[in-house]
Amino acid sequence: MPASIIEALNLSFRYNGIDVLQDVSFIAVKGDYIGLVGPNGSGKTTLIRILLGIAGPLSGRVRLFGQDLGDFSDWSRIGYLPQSFPSFNPYFPSTVEEIVSLGRLSGKRFPKHLDRSDHEAIDRALHLLNIDPIRNALIGELSGGQKQRVLIARAIVNNPDLLILDEPTAALDPEAREHFFTLLRRLNADRGTVIILVTHDVGSIGEYANKLMYVDRRIHFFGSFEDFCSSDRMTSLFGANSQHIICHRH
Amino acid sequence: MYIFEYLQYGFIQRALLCGSFIALLCSTLGVLLVLRRFSLIGDGLAHVTFGSVALGLFLRVYPLYVSLPVVMLSSLGILKLTQRARLYGDAAIGIVSSVGIAGGVLLASVAGGFNVDLFSYLFGNILAIGKEELYLSIALSIAVLAVIVLYFQEIFSMTFDEEFARVSGIATERLNTLLVLLTAITVVLSMNVVGIMLISALLILPAVTALQLARGFRTAMLISASAALASVVGGIFISLALNLPTGATIVLTNFVLFLFAFAIRNLRHRRLAS
Amino acid sequence: MGRQTFCRLSVLFLLCFLVLSCQGKGTATAPGRLAVVTTLFPLYDFAKNVAGERADVSLLLPPGIEPHGFEPRPADIVRLNAADLFIYTSPYMEPWAQVLIKGVQSGKLEVIQAGSGILPEGNPSVPAHRHERRDQVASGGPEAVDPHIWLDFANAVKMVETIRDGFIRKDPAGREIYEKNAADYTEKLKALDEQYRKGLQSCEKRIIVNGGHFAFAYMAKRYGFRYVSVYGISPDAEPTAANLAGITKILRENGLRFLFHEELINPKVAQMLSKEAGVALLKLQPAHNLSKEQLDRNESFLSLMGENLKNLRTGMQCQQASSKP
Repeated sequence: MPASIIEALNLSFRYNGIDVLQDVSFIAVKGDYIGLVGPNGSGKTTLIRILLGIAGPLSGRVRLFGQDLGDFSDWSRIGYLPQSFPSFNPYFPSTVEEIVSLGRLSGKRFPKHLDRSDHEAIDRALHLLNIDPIRNALIGELSGGQKQRVLIARAIVNNPDLLILDEPTAALDPEAREHFFTLLRRLNADRGTVIILVTHDVGSIGEYANKLMYVDRRIHFFGSFEDFCSSDRMTSLFGANSQHIICHRH
Repeated sequence: MYIFEYLQYGFIQRALLCGSFIALLCSTLGVLLVLRRFSLIGDGLAHVTFGSVALGLFLRVYPLYVSLPVVMLSSLGILKLTQRARLYGDAAIGIVSSVGIAGGVLLASVAGGFNVDLFSYLFGNILAIGKEELYLSIALSIAVLAVIVLYFQEIFSMTFDEEFARVSGIATERLNTLLVLLTAITVVLSMNVVGIMLISALLILPAVTALQLARGFRTAMLISASAALASVVGGIFISLALNLPTGATIVLTNFVLFLFAFAIRNLRHRRLAS
Repeated sequence: MGRQTFCRLSVLFLLCFLVLSCQGKGTATAPGRLAVVTTLFPLYDFAKNVAGERADVSLLLPPGIEPHGFEPRPADIVRLNAADLFIYTSPYMEPWAQVLIKGVQSGKLEVIQAGSGILPEGNPSVPAHRHERRDQVASGGPEAVDPHIWLDFANAVKMVETIRDGFIRKDPAGREIYEKNAADYTEKLKALDEQYRKGLQSCEKRIIVNGGHFAFAYMAKRYGFRYVSVYGISPDAEPTAANLAGITKILRENGLRFLFHEELINPKVAQMLSKEAGVALLKLQPAHNLSKEQLDRNESFLSLMGENLKNLRTGMQCQQASSKP
C-alpha cells in the first residue's frame, strides 16, 4: 500500500456551538491531486487549518507523513497557500523576493539565514511564476493577481511533497490560471506531490485533479472522478445538472 | 564651536550615548509593533507602570521591583486579549492602560499621598542619566537587539503572516510572548531613564518614518534605526544650540524627519505616475 | 460559573460595596471649635499657633504633593462648605483658590488672603537676571512674580497678623486669645529672623544653587546672598541642557561644595548635577507642603526654617557659632 502522506482520523470541530466538521476521516497517498469542493461555510477552510495544525480539532487526529501532527517537525515538506488575503497589511514594506524567501525558512535550522541554495530556489520559484520582473516591487504595489502569484511562489519554493492551496486562482486571469495549473500538474506528475486544492470553481476542477472530495460538514464523497460521475448517489446529492458540469470535462 | 564646549559635560555625554542605545532599541522594536497595530503599547504600558509604581510605593517596595513583573504581566494580558477577546491591539492596549492609570490613582488616594510626586517616576530625564542607568540601558539594548538579529527571519515571517509562519514550523506563540515581554521590559526600564514622552515617540515615529521609504523589511529596520539615532543625536545638539528642552526637541526632530520621508515618498509617486 | 453562584457573588459584592461606602473619611470638628481649612503648610502652622484650642485647622494639600501642580477635587469644595475659615496665600501662589471659593454656598465661610498687602509691591525683591547668555539659569525674571513670600520672615509676620485679624472678624469673642497668640508667635518669627541675620553674616560663599525651583528669592534678598535655581518659579518647565551646563559652571566657578535640593521634587536632576560638579547635596525646604513623614513627626514652620538655616550655613560655609534654634 502506498505510503500515506496525510491522514485525517475522525476529526470534528465546533465553533460557537455549531458543528463545523463532524467525523471527518480520509487518507491521501502519494500522487493524489485532490479537488476539495463544497458549499460556502461547509468547513473546507477549517479542515485545512486543522490538517496544518493552525487550529486544533475538538476531537480526532491528524497524521502527516506517517507522524502524528504533534510530533511532526518536517515542515519543509509542506507548502501552504492560505485563503485570507485581505488580512495582511497592504503597506507591509517587503519586496516580492523577501516574501518568497519566507517559504524557505521551514527547512532551516537556527539561526535561520539565507544561503546560496536558498537564493537559487527563490530564483527558480520567481521564474516559474513569471514574477522575475517584479522581484523588487513592494507587495503593496502589486495587483491582486500578482500578489496571488507571489504567495503561490512562497508555497512552492521548497519543492514540497504536500501542497495545500486554499482558493488559489480566485484573483488570477485566465492565462495565469492556465500557467498555474500546468505548474501544479507537473509537480504532481513528476514528483508525486500530493495536492489538496480548495476551490469554488467546480466546473473546471475535473480538468486538473485526479480525485474529488466533497465536504459539507462531513465528507460526502472522496474518490476518483470516474466514481463520482458514475454514482447515482452523487446524482441525487447534486442534481444531474451539476454532476454533469463537473463530469463533462473529465 | 561653542556647542562642542558642552560635550565635556558628563551628563551630555551620557545623554548622547544612552539616548543612542535606547533609540536603536526602541526603533527596531517599534517597526514590529507598528506593523502589528500595537503602536500605542508604549503609552499603554507606561500607564501601567504608573499604577505599578503606586503599588510599589504603597507596599513600601522599591517601585522597580513591582513595575517589572506587573508590566510584563500586563503585556501578556494585552496579547491574550487580542487572541481571545476578539479585539485588535489598540482596544486591548486601551483596556490595560486605563486600568493601570485608574489603579494608580486609586492607590495614591488610598495611601494619602506619597513622598515624591508620583509622576516624577514617569518622567525620567535624558539629561539626568546616571552611570548605572547607562550600563543598564546598554545591556538591555544589546540583549533585545541580539534577539531581533538572531530571530530576524522568524520575526519577519510572523509579522507578515502569522499562520504561514506557524506552518513553517516557527514557534509563533513563544516568539510572540518573548517579543511582548521584551517590549514590557524596554518600556519600564527606558521610561525610568528617559521618560514616557521619549519612549512613546521612539517606539512609533522612527518606524513610521521608515515605512514611508523602505523597500524591504530589513531596509525598514535599518531606516528606522537611523532615523532614531539621527533624531536623538540631532535633537540633543539642536536643543543645545537653541536652548530648548531636550526631550521635546528630539521628538520634534524625529517628526521633521518623518515629514521629509513623507515628502520624498510623494515625489517618488508623482514621478512614477508621470 | 453557575447562575446561582453568580447571583450570590453579586449580592455579596453589592453588600461589601454599600458597607465600605458608608465609612467615609469625615473631618469631625469638636463642638464649639472653628473649622479652618488652609492651603499651604506655613498657613496651617501659623493658623494653628494663632487659634490654639479655639480651632481645628486642616491642610488642604495632601502630603507629598507638589503645590504648583495641585488641582482641587470636588471633595475639597465639600470640605470648604463645612468650614468656617479658609486661608490661602495669594492668587499667584494658589490660582485655583478662586475656583474653590466660588463653589462654596454655605454663606458662613470667611476667606483670608494671608498674602494681601505683600504682593505685588513686594515684587522688586526678585532679582532680575537678563537672559543674555545662553547658559543663563532660571530666575524669576522681571515679569514673573515670586509667590513664596513667607520665606521672608518680615512677610511671615505680616501674614500672621492678617490671619489674626481674620480670626477676630469671624470670632470676636476670642479676640484677646488671638492677639496674645499672634504676638507670641511673631516674637518667635522675629527671633528666627535675627538668628538668620547673625548666622548668615560672615560666610565664605555668598551664593547658593538650588536643584529645585525658584523659591528663595525673598530670603536671598533679605540676607544678602545670590540665589540661582535649576527650575523656574514653578517646577513644571523643564531645564534645558544649556541651563544644566550653566548651573554646573556656576558651581565650579564659585568653588561651591554644596548643591541644595528640595524634598518634593524628583531628585534625579539634583543627583546628576551633584555628580557632575562633584558637590554634596543639602536639603532646602520652601515648606509649602510637607512629606508624610515630616507631618507625622509634627514638624513646624520654625523647626523647618531652623533646619534650613543649618544647611544654609553649611552650604555657604559660614563661620561663627550658630545661635540656638
